[in-house]
Amino acid sequence: MTLFELALKNIRRNMKSYGLYIGSTIFSIIIYFTFAVLKHSDDISGLAETSKQMQAIMSSSAFVLMIFVAIFILYSNSFFMKKRKKEVALYSLLGVRKRSIGFLLFFENIVIGLISLVIGVGSGFLLSQALLSLLLKLMGLSLSVGFAFSLQAVMETVVVFFLIFLVTSLLGYRVIYKFKLIDLFHAEKKGEEQPKARMISALIGVLSLASAYWLALQDLMTSPAWRILGLAMPLVIIGLTILGSYLLFNSVLVYVLNLLKKSKNWAWKGLNLMTSSQLLYRIRGNAKTLTIIATLSATTITAGGAIFGTYYNTEKNVEAFVPFSFMWEGEEQDIPAALIESEVSFETKEVVVEGEVYDESYHVIDETAFLNLAEALGWDIDNIDLEKGEAIVVDPFYDERWQEQAETIELAAGDIKKVEEFYEEPLFNIPTLPGTTVVVDDTAFQELDGEHTAYQAVQIDDFKNHLDLSKELEAKTENFSSAVQNYQDSIESSGAMLFVGSFLGLVFLVATGSIIFFKMMTEAEEDKGKYTVLYKIGVSKTEMKKTVRYQVGLIFLAPLVLGLMHGTVALMAFSNLLQMNLWEPIILWMAAYTMIYILYYVMTVRGFNKTITQTVTQEG
Amino acid sequence: MEHLLKVNNVEKIYGKGANRFQALKNISFTIDHGEFVGVMGPSGAGKSTLLNVLATIDTPTKGDIYVEEDNIAKMKEDKLADFRRDHLGFIFQDYNLLDSLTVRENILLPLAIAKQPAKEIEEKVNTISRSFGIEDLLDKYPYQISGGQKQRTASCRALVSNPKLIFADEPTGALDSKSATDLLESLSGLNKEHETTIMMVTHDAYAASFCRRILFIKDGGLSQELIRGTCTRKEFFQMILDELAEVGGDGNDLV
Repeated sequence: MTLFELALKNIRRNMKSYGLYIGSTIFSIIIYFTFAVLKHSDDISGLAETSKQMQAIMSSSAFVLMIFVAIFILYSNSFFMKKRKKEVALYSLLGVRKRSIGFLLFFENIVIGLISLVIGVGSGFLLSQALLSLLLKLMGLSLSVGFAFSLQAVMETVVVFFLIFLVTSLLGYRVIYKFKLIDLFHAEKKGEEQPKARMISALIGVLSLASAYWLALQDLMTSPAWRILGLAMPLVIIGLTILGSYLLFNSVLVYVLNLLKKSKNWAWKGLNLMTSSQLLYRIRGNAKTLTIIATLSATTITAGGAIFGTYYNTEKNVEAFVPFSFMWEGEEQDIPAALIESEVSFETKEVVVEGEVYDESYHVIDETAFLNLAEALGWDIDNIDLEKGEAIVVDPFYDERWQEQAETIELAAGDIKKVEEFYEEPLFNIPTLPGTTVVVDDTAFQELDGEHTAYQAVQIDDFKNHLDLSKELEAKTENFSSAVQNYQDSIESSGAMLFVGSFLGLVFLVATGSIIFFKMMTEAEEDKGKYTVLYKIGVSKTEMKKTVRYQVGLIFLAPLVLGLMHGTVALMAFSNLLQMNLWEPIILWMAAYTMIYILYYVMTVRGFNKTITQTVTQEG
Repeated sequence: MEHLLKVNNVEKIYGKGANRFQALKNISFTIDHGEFVGVMGPSGAGKSTLLNVLATIDTPTKGDIYVEEDNIAKMKEDKLADFRRDHLGFIFQDYNLLDSLTVRENILLPLAIAKQPAKEIEEKVNTISRSFGIEDLLDKYPYQISGGQKQRTASCRALVSNPKLIFADEPTGALDSKSATDLLESLSGLNKEHETTIMMVTHDAYAASFCRRILFIKDGGLSQELIRGTCTRKEFFQMILDELAEVGGDGNDLV
C-alpha cells in the first residue's frame, strides 16, 4: 500500500468534510456556468438588440459573479485545509517531505476541481435550461426555447475555474511550506486575547453610521450636502457605512457584551457567562467577515429591492406614462367596437409663448375635450365651468422641487388667464403628446391662434392582450403610442433586470449564508473541548444547545439586521429619487431574504449541535 | 562504541527582548544503543522542549545534536523529513492517530511512506501488533477502541519501521494504571529483547521506574542522573521518589 493509496482511502473515509468542500465548489460552478449559458444564449442576445442594456448588465454581472465565486471557493478551501492540519502534520512527522505533501494536496485539489467541473457543468446545463425558460417567461415572451448548449459558456467556465483551482492549489502548497511542525504541538496553547471595547471607536462607529444614513436621505436637488460633496457623495456614503459597520461589530457590540458580562445578576446565571464570553471572542475575531457579510447583504437587499420594486411597479408606471390604450395623431381608425370602452376625438392647438429665458410651448384643448378625456380616464372632476379668463393646466412633469406652480398663464400677448385647477397626472399618452397642456373655455379656444391638429384617444378593454391590434394601428397612424407596447417594452427590460438581479441576489444570499455556515462549523470544531468540559461538569445538553443557539444566532442576526437597515435607508433614498412608492415590493423582498437566512440559521445550529453532541458523547 | 545520540551544549530561547525566555540551558548528555532513558522534572522545567528539539519537531537555538554521525541540529528541512522517516519513531500523550484509517492502516503508515513492499508491510504489522497484543483490533477504527489500545496502536506505529530511536512524550499520561503498566511492560520488553532505544519524557515516577536511566531536568538544565543498574524495578521506583523529594520538585508532580 502506497501513501497515495492511503491518501485516497483517507478521502473516501473523510467524505463528510470533503463533501462540504466539493459541494461548495460544485455549487459555485453550477451558478457560474448557468449564468455563462444565459449570457451566451442566442435567445438572450436576440433580446439584447431590443433592450440594449442587457448585454452590458450580463457581462458586468458575470464579472461580479466571478469575483464572488473566487472568494467563496477560497473561503471554503481554507476551511477545508484547516480541518486537515492534523493529517498534514502527522505525515510530516512520519517523514514525508514537504514537497511530497504539497504535491499530494495539489493533486487532490486538482482532482476535486475536475470532478466538480464535470458535475457542475452537467447540472448547470440542466438548470440553465429551466432558468432560461423562466427568464423568457418573466420577460413576457412566449418563445419556445430549444436546448441551448453553448460551447463558449463551457470554455469560459472551464477557464475561470481552472484559474481559481490553480490559485487555491498553490495556496494550499504555500500553507505546507509555511507550516512548522512545532505549531501542531503548540496550537492549542495559544490563548485568545480578551477583547476590550474602546468607548471612542464605539462612538465613532455609531456616528459614522448615523451620518451615512443622514447623507443618504438628503434630497439630491435641495441638500447642501450634495452641493458640497457633489459626485463624491455616494462614495462618502458607502465608505461611512462600511466603516460604521466594522466599528459596530468591532466595538459597539463588544462594549454592550462587556457591560452584560459585568452585571453579575445576569452573567452569573446558568450559562450566560459562557455564552457572552463566547460571543465576545467571536464577534471581535469575526468583525471583518461580519462587515463583509453585512455589506454584501445590504447590496443584495438594495439592488434586489430596487429591481423588484421597479418590476412590481411596471404596470403602474405604464399607466402613469401612457394612460390611454392607444393614442395617435390624425383620423379615426377601425377598431372592433366590442373592444372599445371609450373613444375621444379632439383637436389641439400648439401655442408657443416667448418667454424671457426660453419659449414655453403648450398644447391647448377646449373644455369639452378635456371633460371627455377626463371621463375616459375616470378622473374625478366636479362642476368645472371655465370662464373666459380662466384655464386648467395639466403638467405631468411638474416637480415641486424644481418649479413653482404658476398662478396665471399667458397664452398670447395680453391674454393672461387665471389657473383654476392644476393636475399633475398625464392627460395624454406622453410619447404622443409630451409637455404641458392648457385647457381653456370653448369659445376662447376658437379664438386662439395656432395650428390645429386632430388626435384620437382610445381606451379598450383588457389592453395587455392586444399587441396585434397595437401593431396594426401603429402601421397606419402617425405619432402612435400604445399602453400595451409600452408595457411590453418595460417588462422586457425590467424582467431581464429582475432575473439577473434575483439570480445574483440568490447567489449572494446563498454564498453569505454558506460563509457563515463554514465559519460556524470551524468554530464548532474549536469549541468542542469547551463543550466537553461543560458536559463533564454537569451542564445538560438542552442548556448547551441554548448557548449554541445564541452563539450562532448573533453571528447570523448582527449582519442581517445591519444589512436590512442599510438596505432600508438606501431604498428609501432610491424611492425618493424616483418618486415611486416601493414599500410593498421591498417588504416582500426583505421578508423573502430573511426567510432564507433563517433557513441557514436553523441548518447551522443543527450542524453545530451535531458536531458538539458527537464529541461530548464519545468522550463523556 | 560510538554513542547513538550525543547532545552538545544545546540551548533553546523563546521570544525576544523582554519576553525572552530560556527554556533549555547548556544541556549535554549521550544515549547509547539499546538504552531506555527517562527524562523527569517539574512542570515547565523544559522536558517537552528538550524532547521536541531532539525529535526535530523544534530546532535548538544553539548547540549540536548528533545521531550517530548526523548533526540533526544543522540539517535541512528535506533531509530532516527523510531522517525522521528512516530513523525516528514517536509516541504522544494524545496518540495522534488518524480517525479515518483503521488500526492496521495507522500502523503501516510509516512503512507506506517509506515505500516498502506490501508483503513485507503485512508481516511487520502482524509481528508488532502481536507484541503489543492488539492483533485482534487491526480492522477497527480508532474511535472504536479504548485509550490504552489507542496508545498501543500509536506505539506500534512508532516501532514498526524499526527506528534507531523512539521518542515518547508522556505516553502514559492519559491512561489508567492497568493500561499504563501494560504499555510500559511492552516497551520495556522491546527494549530488552530488540535493543530498541527509547527516550521517554514523564513526570510519573512509576512510569519512570521502567527506564534504565533517568535524567532530571530543572529550570532548563540537567540537574541529576539516576542509573538503575542491577536494582529491581521496585527499588528503582523508591530511588526515584527519594530523588524527587530531594530535588524538591513541585509536590504535584511526585505522583
